[in-house]
Amino acid sequence: MPKGVLVDVSRCIGCRSCQVACKSWNDLPATPTVFSNNWDNPPSLNATNWTRVGYHLIEKGDQLKWRFVKTQCMHCEEPACESACFTHSFVKTESGAVIYKPTELNQDYCVGCRYCMIACPFSVPKFEWDKAFPFVRKCKFCYDRIKEGVEPACVSACLTGCLKFGEKEELLAEAHQRIDSNPNYIKRVYGEKEYGGTSWMYISDVPFEDLGFKTNVSEKSIPSYSWDILKWTPGIFVGWGAILTALYTYNKRRAEVHHEEEMYAPVQDEE
Amino acid sequence: MTNHFEDYVNSDYFLIIGANPAEAHPMAMRHIGKAKAKGAKIIVVDPRFTKTAAHADIYVPLRPGTDIPFLYGLINYAIQNDLYQHEYVLNYTNASYLISPDYSFADGVFSGLEEKDGKLSYNNKSWSYQTDGEDIQKDPTLQDPQCVWQIMKKHVSRYDIKTVSNVTGTPEDTLKKAYALYCKSGKPEVSGNLIYVLGITQHSYGSQNTRATCMVQLLLGNVGLPGGGLNPQRGQSNVQGACDMGMLWNNVTGYLKVPDATKHATYEEYLKAETPKTGYWSNTPKFMTSTLKAWYGEKATKENGFCYDWLPKTEGKSHSHMDSYAGLEEGEIKGVFCWAENPSVAGPDAYHEVKALEKAEWMVCVDVFENETAAFWKRPGANPADIKTEVFLLPAAHIYEKEGTRTNSSRDVQWRWKSVEPPGQAKSDLWIADRLFKAIRKEYASGGRFTDPIMNLTWNYDKPGQDEPDLEKIAIELNGFKVEDGTVLGTFADLKDDGSTACGVWIYAGYYYIDPKETDPLLKVPATKRHGTEDKTGLAIYPKWTFAWPLNRRIVYNRCSSNPAGQPWNPKRPYIFWDGAKWVTPDVPDFGAKDAKTKEPNPPEKTAQAPFIMTADGQAHFFVPSGLISTSQMKEGPMPEHYEPVESPVKNPISKQQSNPVAKKWKGEFSKLAEVGSKDFPYVATTVHYIEHYQTGVRTRNSPYLVELMPEQFATISPSLAKQLGIKPGDDIIVSSARAEINCKANVLPIVRPLVVNGSPVEIVSLPWSWGFMGLSKGAIGNELTPFVACPNVTVPEYKAFLVNIRKA
Repeated sequence: MPKGVLVDVSRCIGCRSCQVACKSWNDLPATPTVFSNNWDNPPSLNATNWTRVGYHLIEKGDQLKWRFVKTQCMHCEEPACESACFTHSFVKTESGAVIYKPTELNQDYCVGCRYCMIACPFSVPKFEWDKAFPFVRKCKFCYDRIKEGVEPACVSACLTGCLKFGEKEELLAEAHQRIDSNPNYIKRVYGEKEYGGTSWMYISDVPFEDLGFKTNVSEKSIPSYSWDILKWTPGIFVGWGAILTALYTYNKRRAEVHHEEEMYAPVQDEE
Repeated sequence: MTNHFEDYVNSDYFLIIGANPAEAHPMAMRHIGKAKAKGAKIIVVDPRFTKTAAHADIYVPLRPGTDIPFLYGLINYAIQNDLYQHEYVLNYTNASYLISPDYSFADGVFSGLEEKDGKLSYNNKSWSYQTDGEDIQKDPTLQDPQCVWQIMKKHVSRYDIKTVSNVTGTPEDTLKKAYALYCKSGKPEVSGNLIYVLGITQHSYGSQNTRATCMVQLLLGNVGLPGGGLNPQRGQSNVQGACDMGMLWNNVTGYLKVPDATKHATYEEYLKAETPKTGYWSNTPKFMTSTLKAWYGEKATKENGFCYDWLPKTEGKSHSHMDSYAGLEEGEIKGVFCWAENPSVAGPDAYHEVKALEKAEWMVCVDVFENETAAFWKRPGANPADIKTEVFLLPAAHIYEKEGTRTNSSRDVQWRWKSVEPPGQAKSDLWIADRLFKAIRKEYASGGRFTDPIMNLTWNYDKPGQDEPDLEKIAIELNGFKVEDGTVLGTFADLKDDGSTACGVWIYAGYYYIDPKETDPLLKVPATKRHGTEDKTGLAIYPKWTFAWPLNRRIVYNRCSSNPAGQPWNPKRPYIFWDGAKWVTPDVPDFGAKDAKTKEPNPPEKTAQAPFIMTADGQAHFFVPSGLISTSQMKEGPMPEHYEPVESPVKNPISKQQSNPVAKKWKGEFSKLAEVGSKDFPYVATTVHYIEHYQTGVRTRNSPYLVELMPEQFATISPSLAKQLGIKPGDDIIVSSARAEINCKANVLPIVRPLVVNGSPVEIVSLPWSWGFMGLSKGAIGNELTPFVACPNVTVPEYKAFLVNIRKA
């Protein structure tokens, strides 16, 4: 059964244990950083930072709200990275994890075209710019753990129950139950429908727009857009062939008739 | 803490003041979060809008150092609006006790203030109860003007909302909302949990701040019951254990007083002076005698006063951290052991403390890394050639590299097993202490002054074939045993004052005891090693999870969870109650549940007489009376009163007494202070922690992952101050105080905002202190700016409110 993670933004205290646990489990190096006025170093996801908690201090009049939002690969149900990759380096596994085969399965197809990075609506995959033989890197949903039935490293480090790992369908039901039973929640499960649904889902007590989420997004998956067009390919292939054949036949016949007419037409006398 | 972390789930209301658990005690937030999910309401009182405040229902900003006005405002509000718990106040506190007619209070000063040799101190004789022979006089109607209730009511009546707002800078409507919400916990069936930490204690009147928190909780009937309590979350993971083990200069183990040669020349005199006739401390002779038996074994006999004469004694002087550095400065102290401590970063006025270290002839540092104290001789600006101190650095094993116990804020004494071997030459602290003592004893073997205490000390911890001392032998000595056959004791009730029992830490009695009635083989281990997860009542009580001192009691003062008739205040959360014939509870009763002689249950009427067994009068104190043995006498008054921090931007708006008249101050290098309302240092600073860096940062600033998250030292200022000074986020700035100045980055966030005090805005600067010049992440030492002044009761420095200036670097 596909797994998922429910992120309850209202429960995060910004301790960033998840960030450290991710690096620790995946053996990612610490990168040099400089002072950040927001305190949320490192400043963005990159090839060695697969998850990051962004701090959102929201000022409304003299009231402050402060929320801490973990970001990582959303593990789309129909991943854009997978569809954009002509070498099939990405795959959505049955567990729910979207993994990169060159590193996870040691199947080196990737040619470094980075179409996946352009395709991803969440700007998640990152390139190892500083390596001679670079890979594309991103959160792998701790595929090595979850396939053994163990929760991802980040979830195991979460102190407050902000992150919950489980069967995706059960988590989705729980998310609805939580937002329905408490008026403080925004009535939306982010990831239920966004871009066709994702394995990681968010609920929040602060509007998602204020937390850096893209909210005005399609409920259709990115691959489905290309599918909308590409699905006509066989029809076009067959149809266009038929039309061309018909045209060819028509033209050919026309030419033949013309030729015959030319041949047999009475020659007019010059006047 | 009176309660424990798991119990937080039972709380209906939280008042979190001077604490930021989301950064400093993240695991506590797990339990607070569980309560919140069940509907609990949270109030956070802090000068900064913290990560904890982000989860609060009401955030109350206040000026650093004005906790007493805030809390007194709350008490006054509860009394004026009749929101307190009457029956609790009348029966479980000294509200009805009559105070001497000589007691008085006027314009910020209590009766008895005297001046001797230019120093002020109180003669507290007039703060006593009225007595008739041995009997304390009471007025159960609470009408007598000399009763504690009336005195307190009058005392706090000056703290109305307008006055409080004028001092704290908190908007009046925020105060009203917060007071109204928290006073809901004054209903008998509702629990309010008051959490505080160093934001309350680190002031020149820190002990009185904690007294004010106690008064709030007693008034609202929140002490002794599930979901309630006074919960000071300890600042380090084992600081509770360190205090229990006698690491405070004024206590030996188990909070027994350190002998003072000016008061207790002989053992007889010690016992006479420190043993009250009533209350549980009346057992002091049993505890102290057993302690001496643990230390001196067979040598300790009744005839020689159990070798009391061998104990080192103070001479009526304080020997706190600050006094020791003043002693170094004056040349009185020649050598320093800095064991798992980093005062060059942690000490008040660290700039001058580290200079005082230069006067030491030798220093031994024991730590997991070479910290700023061990490296003080090569600190920026110092010339190693000029420093004569000989420094020894002993590499210590980290917590995961050694075995032993750690005691947390819940008083859980938890056994920890070693997970990895220490690297290189690093050794456990116990190994180092063991070899150190053996080396000292070897030196003394050839003679010296007063060799008896060294040569005769019990030190039999060797285990054949093992490099490390035998932990089990030490554990049993701490736990207590029968001298004749070594039987391990299950309770301190079995300790004797005749020398037949030995016990290193009386409050730990039972922690290494194996319950003979236990049937589960996994739980048939010393209590401290148990991991039982059964919670029979659903009240988050896990009696078989490790051992909580005292006596495996999880909530102390638990008689107060029931009314005087023995019925629970909250029938939905019955914790301890009288079923008509006996007491029923999942916990260990903290009162005389059974008659000591007949072993018959004591009925509710009797136990309600003394619900607080550790005080001599059996009651909790709104007013701390003088004349009671073993009741801590407050140095600056029987009740708190608002004083300004020693360095303050304003004149005290409450009274003419500007600051604590008996606050501890020092001379010479350590006397540098900014004047009241200083133009040179116009902003109020407070020191803070972030989750990424623990304490002085010795461990965390050497962890690449944590340095990545929080790489540089900074100071947080409000956008308004930044605008005024032309400072942008990330600019290099200089923060200066009357002691020193430091360079750091400017952090500009609206989490601090100016507060209007006495009609003028006061800007607040929040300054982390976890950086130093060693480690992967280097930065200026925040504590170089903090003042060298302290609370007179416990000598805690005033880290949390002082004056600074800021300019662009």
